[in-house]
Amino acid sequence: MMNINDKHSQKIVDIIKEYARKQSLFILAYGTGCGAIEIPPTMTSRYDAERYGIRGAATPRQADVLLITGYLATKTLKRVIRAYEQMQSPKYVIGFGSCTINGGMYWDSYNTINVLDKYLPVDVYINGCMPRPEAVLAGFDKLKELIQAGKAEGWKHYQENLDWYRENQKKVIVNWQMPDYNW
Amino acid sequence: MDNINLEKEQQLADILSSDFTRLDAKVVRERRVEAVLKSNDIIPSVLLFAKDKLGYIHFSHMSCVDWLEEGEFEVIYILWNPEEKINLLIKVRTDRDNATLPNIDYIWRQANTYERELREMYGIEFPGLIAAKEFILEDWQGMPPMRRDFKTKEYVDDHFFHRPGREDAQDVRETIANRSGEEIPEFAKKFSRK
Repeated sequence: MMNINDKHSQKIVDIIKEYARKQSLFILAYGTGCGAIEIPPTMTSRYDAERYGIRGAATPRQADVLLITGYLATKTLKRVIRAYEQMQSPKYVIGFGSCTINGGMYWDSYNTINVLDKYLPVDVYINGCMPRPEAVLAGFDKLKELIQAGKAEGWKHYQENLDWYRENQKKVIVNWQMPDYNW
Repeated sequence: MDNINLEKEQQLADILSSDFTRLDAKVVRERRVEAVLKSNDIIPSVLLFAKDKLGYIHFSHMSCVDWLEEGEFEVIYILWNPEEKINLLIKVRTDRDNATLPNIDYIWRQANTYERELREMYGIEFPGLIAAKEFILEDWQGMPPMRRDFKTKEYVDDHFFHRPGREDAQDVRETIANRSGEEIPEFAKKFSRK
């Protein structure tokens, strides 16, 4: 009888698991900034992302991918962290647009964060202001590559370095009244 | 366009100037009349007069200008008369350090939203304001952010991170030109960062 925990069969299981994961990416339907306007054309008939297995999910607990579409206000950051921590692992974060990378045109604004990966583990960045649907699909392609290679492990990194992330998050969110999730 | 008829506008300015002594009204242009109040106490009476007697029933907007050098805030109420089709701008000034203005949200309910915004973004107090509490900003501490003496850059440096490579202001065009061995045309050189 085949032992499922044996090293070689585990590898086969992993390949199948990761193949299945990358073929169905459910995006949390939550737009944080102006970039959310690029999601409807990506999803609808012109670019039809669903043929690549990318589609929307209604709640964080059903979603695999969190898209941070554009500038992220400090007020929104609180909700995004809350949503991210409710998502089931494995979960992936895509930073979308130049605002998530370095602040973009809002880099000196008093209420938007500048560098997203200080607060959440970002697997893929898509640059552009705004990125067109082709770029979005290319970003998802890259994410699929990473998932198949087993390198999209931001969520593990988040769990291991939770204190570092919390410290950065609390620097922005003054009044921290959030539940502590126990993974 | 020489024969613009400003009769209605002039009539309004005359009515306002004659009814209120501490008020300067003048015609700015066609369909726009400006009234500068010299006292803050008469704001509700001027607004009520304009609403009930003159037909300025629509409260379009209320906004604030920060005159930092003069130490004053200027608050502008914009009213609209749908019959006469005239915009009436009512301007008042208040001291920056202890900014207080009469509350007008019993005249127009929608003024409440504008007043709460000005209270949060500039720190202007409106005694008697309904729901005078946190509005848009969440857990904000310190100086209201829309004041001109609020140091935005310092605040950002203190609270957020910068990704390295942004501050050196490198001219991307020159880097590309050097790499590909091209020359920047003469007419475009004045835009170079040197």
